[in-house]
Amino acid sequence: MREEKQLELTLEALISQVADLKNSLVSFIYKLENEYDRLTWPSVLDSFALLSGQLNTLNKVLKHEKTPLLRNQVIIPLVLSPDRDEEIMRQTEGRVPVFSHEVVPDHLRTKPDPEVEEQEKQLITDAARISPDGAQKQIQSLNKMCSNLLEKISKEERESESGGLRQNKQTFNPTDTNALVAAVAFGKGLSNRRPPGSGGSVQSGQPGAGAIIAGASGMQQVPMSSAPAQQQPMLAGVQMAQAGQPGKMPSGIKTNIKSASMHPYQR
Amino acid sequence: MEAPPVTMMPVTGGTINMMEYLLQGSVLDQSLESLLHRLRGLCDNMEPETFLDHEMVFLLKGQQASPFVLRARRSMDKSGMPWHLRYLGQPEIGDKNRHALVRNCVDIATSDNLTDFLVEMGFRMDHEFVAKGHVFRKGIMKIVVYKIFRILMPGNTDSIEPLSLSYLVELNVVAPAGQDIVSDDMRNFAEQLKPLVHLEKIDPKRLM
Repeated sequence: MREEKQLELTLEALISQVADLKNSLVSFIYKLENEYDRLTWPSVLDSFALLSGQLNTLNKVLKHEKTPLLRNQVIIPLVLSPDRDEEIMRQTEGRVPVFSHEVVPDHLRTKPDPEVEEQEKQLITDAARISPDGAQKQIQSLNKMCSNLLEKISKEERESESGGLRQNKQTFNPTDTNALVAAVAFGKGLSNRRPPGSGGSVQSGQPGAGAIIAGASGMQQVPMSSAPAQQQPMLAGVQMAQAGQPGKMPSGIKTNIKSASMHPYQR
Repeated sequence: MEAPPVTMMPVTGGTINMMEYLLQGSVLDQSLESLLHRLRGLCDNMEPETFLDHEMVFLLKGQQASPFVLRARRSMDKSGMPWHLRYLGQPEIGDKNRHALVRNCVDIATSDNLTDFLVEMGFRMDHEFVAKGHVFRKGIMKIVVYKIFRILMPGNTDSIEPLSLSYLVELNVVAPAGQDIVSDDMRNFAEQLKPLVHLEKIDPKRLM
């Protein structure tokens, strides 16, 4: 019972993998047929890489431990008819119209082509002829050549990269980053560079608070009427030297609300 | 006068506490175009959006040492937009695994008498600047590339000068508290902008 379930799951996985593979092949063929004049080598490589990746996943599915031994399963066609079968048409997107005795040997075959079989037999006899030591030596020399080649390629890549970097301009300046972040975070470098004595401004709309402001900050000599909109220059910035005054302002305002005649600040 | 860390606040209903996840970097003026090209490719396909904003930062000095900071922002090029009032808390000191700066964030749209209101409440403007740049979006992430201009005469937003020869690049997400997976997505996106821009979490306290 469990094997049946496993078989079912495996088949589903295989079907979806094969469908993906088919789709990538279709798009690759389309690309080759229709865009051959604009095709670039990297684009072709991309398609090949995609196909190779999908074949890889297909292999992984087949090798998965939960996959039952498909080798032990046999597919037998139960009914062969020369009539058109709509179901098969639909499933194969119109490619296989009939499930007849011409179509079945091609679609259900498991043996490779005769030519391929011949080549395989040849390779097997050749391999059997070489002694195990000879085979080992050949393997080792192949590995050595591959690693030499890899080393050469990576060295070349490294050298060209460092040469390229020397030509590349720096695209950002860390000092600037810090300056900008500080400006946005707490206004470093943005404080209005007002010379002392040129005054802050008194908000025209609030006479009570305005009086307090004019009274409190001792350096404000000239009350200016502010712009009709909203801007109020910094009155109690961190950089200002007046130590005690700014801190007293809000409490001064509160006091003012309670007793209007109180003037808490010496002037 | 800072709001207590989000983890300590009881859930009393109402709005969810939103956190802002932030990564910052900068790009030199001459490399701005390449950055914009890359962002146009990486981000959601939208009309490129530019903005010109005027931001004022207001402080309320209380009895405690650290003042309460509110940021008021208005659009200078788009008419009819509401003003934007924002509170940003202290960055949460999370574990090193968190890739972005995380801080409590409250955003409110207001009418245009915001500054009068703030002054009435006792706030005083600490500094202001003009920000001009581009906005991109990718899902919930917002990428802003802008230049900061210093305002030479208080109240006059026409006489401005750039603060530096670079544009500030910010990647931020506003999300409910506790979604640390957001910072992983942000880091992956930041990887795609290297080596043009290095987006990293910069603690403002280190720059004081």
